[in-house]
Amino acid sequence: MNAMSELDERINALLAGSTTFGLEPEERHEQLLVLFKDEITYACQRSPQYRNYADRWPVDYRKATRLADLPYLPVGVFKMNPPLKLVEQSQVTHTLASSATTGQVPSRVVLDSATAKRMSKGVTTIVRDFIGPSRRPYLVIDVSANLAGGGELGARGAAIQGLRSFATETVCCLEKDSSVEPKLNLNLLREFAAKWKNAEVLVYGFTHVIWNHFVKPLQSQGVKLEMPNVRVLHSGGWKRLERQAVSKDVFNRGVASVFGTLPGRVTDFYGMIENVGVIYPDCEFGNKHVPAFAEVLVRDPLTLEPVPAGGQGLVQVCSVLPTSFPGFLVLTEDIAEVVHTDGCPCGRRGTSFRFVRRVPKAEMRGCGNVETVRERPLEEAVIHA
Amino acid sequence: MRNLIQEAGSAQQIGDAAKQLREIVSNEEFSLNSVLEIFEEWAAALQGREFDEIPGVSFLRLWLRRGTLDPILKRELGEASLVDGWNDDGRARLKSFPIGVVGHWPAGNIEIQPLLSMSCALLGGNGSLVRVPSGLVDITGKLFEKLQAVNSDGVLSRRIKLFSFDHSREDLQEAMARNVDGAMIWGGLESVSHMRGLPFPHWARIAVFGPRLSVAAMDAEVWNCQAERDSWCQRIARDVWQFEQQACSSPQVLFLERASNADASSFISELKQAFQAECRAHPRRELSPAMTSAICLARASWLLEDVSRRASFPASPDWTILVGSGAEIPKPTQGRTLSVLMVDDLLKVIEKFDGTVQTLGLAVADAKKEELLAGAAGRRGVDRIVKLGRMHVFGSPWDGVDLIRPMVRLVRHVPSQS
Repeated sequence: MNAMSELDERINALLAGSTTFGLEPEERHEQLLVLFKDEITYACQRSPQYRNYADRWPVDYRKATRLADLPYLPVGVFKMNPPLKLVEQSQVTHTLASSATTGQVPSRVVLDSATAKRMSKGVTTIVRDFIGPSRRPYLVIDVSANLAGGGELGARGAAIQGLRSFATETVCCLEKDSSVEPKLNLNLLREFAAKWKNAEVLVYGFTHVIWNHFVKPLQSQGVKLEMPNVRVLHSGGWKRLERQAVSKDVFNRGVASVFGTLPGRVTDFYGMIENVGVIYPDCEFGNKHVPAFAEVLVRDPLTLEPVPAGGQGLVQVCSVLPTSFPGFLVLTEDIAEVVHTDGCPCGRRGTSFRFVRRVPKAEMRGCGNVETVRERPLEEAVIHA
Repeated sequence: MRNLIQEAGSAQQIGDAAKQLREIVSNEEFSLNSVLEIFEEWAAALQGREFDEIPGVSFLRLWLRRGTLDPILKRELGEASLVDGWNDDGRARLKSFPIGVVGHWPAGNIEIQPLLSMSCALLGGNGSLVRVPSGLVDITGKLFEKLQAVNSDGVLSRRIKLFSFDHSREDLQEAMARNVDGAMIWGGLESVSHMRGLPFPHWARIAVFGPRLSVAAMDAEVWNCQAERDSWCQRIARDVWQFEQQACSSPQVLFLERASNADASSFISELKQAFQAECRAHPRRELSPAMTSAICLARASWLLEDVSRRASFPASPDWTILVGSGAEIPKPTQGRTLSVLMVDDLLKVIEKFDGTVQTLGLAVADAKKEELLAGAAGRRGVDRIVKLGRMHVFGSPWDGVDLIRPMVRLVRHVPSQS
């Protein structure tokens, strides 16, 4: 058996384990530490670039006794072009790209078929723990173009795809006409709502898309859907809604009111394309949990040491799932607070945390320059007829 | 202390303050000698642990001494300026007079800069309207309190108005600009570009300091000299540590000239020890998450982009040494992150400068070689060429500009009876 097959077997065993959120934290850490060390060794064999990084790490990963001492990559390195990979180009089946705002470079991660399968399994395992295993009608608050799985998939597409294993039928209720913004297809939505009135229905959309292109138009038209048994999942962050002064509470109540359901049936989850196969839905106590095949560390920005319960810092996500790119241990640009190291009243074991905010852009306070060359403004061309 | 620095609420408040200052400058006799005496007393008053802990205060004490200022004033304003007289200039004579009210926009990261900038304008006899950055209000107040204490008759402190307001208050920034006759602007690209666009009157003189970056360089003979290596490494560490590398005079990269008989690994090892020692002596009390992220990204990108590169850093973000080769200045990370690049010829590095580099910190064994490098650096826009370890020692000229003369008028008098 080659190194990859052996790793694959061990990762899948962890993924298929009987308990997703029930492992005792120390036992889980021991399992993960061994597996991560082997994954790092594998990555070092596959990528001289990664080996150069791991070899310079201040702690020898082979001798590390804590997950916190293993070499992690800052999330910004996934913006490198070409993307970091541990497989041959011919083995790449998909590339996932983050949603970057105008002018920003998106993150890109490559998937081979093994990582893609694990990604799908990881998301299914986590979501099942929150909404149950049954398949149900799936309402996507997005345009159908984001439903199509292609070679290169955006963050929205990846999230939509990730939940399709729960779907009996899928309907996208936004459509694109000539305008830039998507438009709600009210007839289609009404038809779907009438058909599945009292059924268990799964709904997914990006947070700002749900608010701006679904809740607001329905509220302005006074439309109320009578679908009390929906489960609404949403992700993508709060930055845009914060600018609109829409809090989580306002959002949950707004979404619940248009569906005619309870705010408790609206669930936010945190996730990122660099952390493939792991999402972090809120439990009924408002905390995010980590499955058996992953871990979250929150590091003090001053020391980069993990903070105890109650502390805030930079989030490091750890997942054993990817083997097509070195995304096992990733330091994000998000700030979170550790709520418990174990013992959330919801019963899920291990670390629970809450997202606090994105790391703000560094404020330049000094007279030092970060431009290494002088760029002169281009002269305006004056063309005389 | 906060009451020494007024919270500016309206443009009218700033306009009124400028008017008062202008009245004083126009009507009151000014004696440079008495300013120098007050500065001496002020320097002496800035003693004690509470001041020693403020970064840059030891330098401010030195700056305010006659031993420092007399030669600067003689060079910038002429010999007779020290006795408040006129300097002969052929048949004519010259004497400096204030331009009026000088506005100061210091950078937010250098604790002593609001008062350092103000001291330059005061030596020219001007009134000073200072915008104190919000993060420096308490420290500036503490330092200014001592000036007030030694200047009991208020001759000098009457010429000073300190204001604090949020940098986003465009109305107050504009009010300050409209009411001054000169401006001393310090800061990074964003703030300097913004300040330069403020509605200054057409006669206002504007002196801009920054944004620039600085570079260190050592020739093979020096870094390869076992006996001196330790002290040079300590000097480099000191230059890197001050101001968290956010100052225009902070070295972002150290170029090492290749030696035929040695590799740099033992030098890097000693530099690492010097960084560790400096870190123990001056531990950080806080670090923004954004800077921590930037440091982690710089470490990883450096090693992932090129497998021939090396790096040395602890598990914490305390310091970082990135080792490679090449004559280009890498994009600065700041936050005690020094790139160390091997080059065949230091001259080739300097030939690539285009005016961005403010200070070149040098350690060169041969004086002739140093002269050659200094000449090339001058032609390529470098304004300060100093010994490593002294990159932040503030002096005139700074950024190639005198510190006092730009804010005075040199009045020419040709006596009618001559």
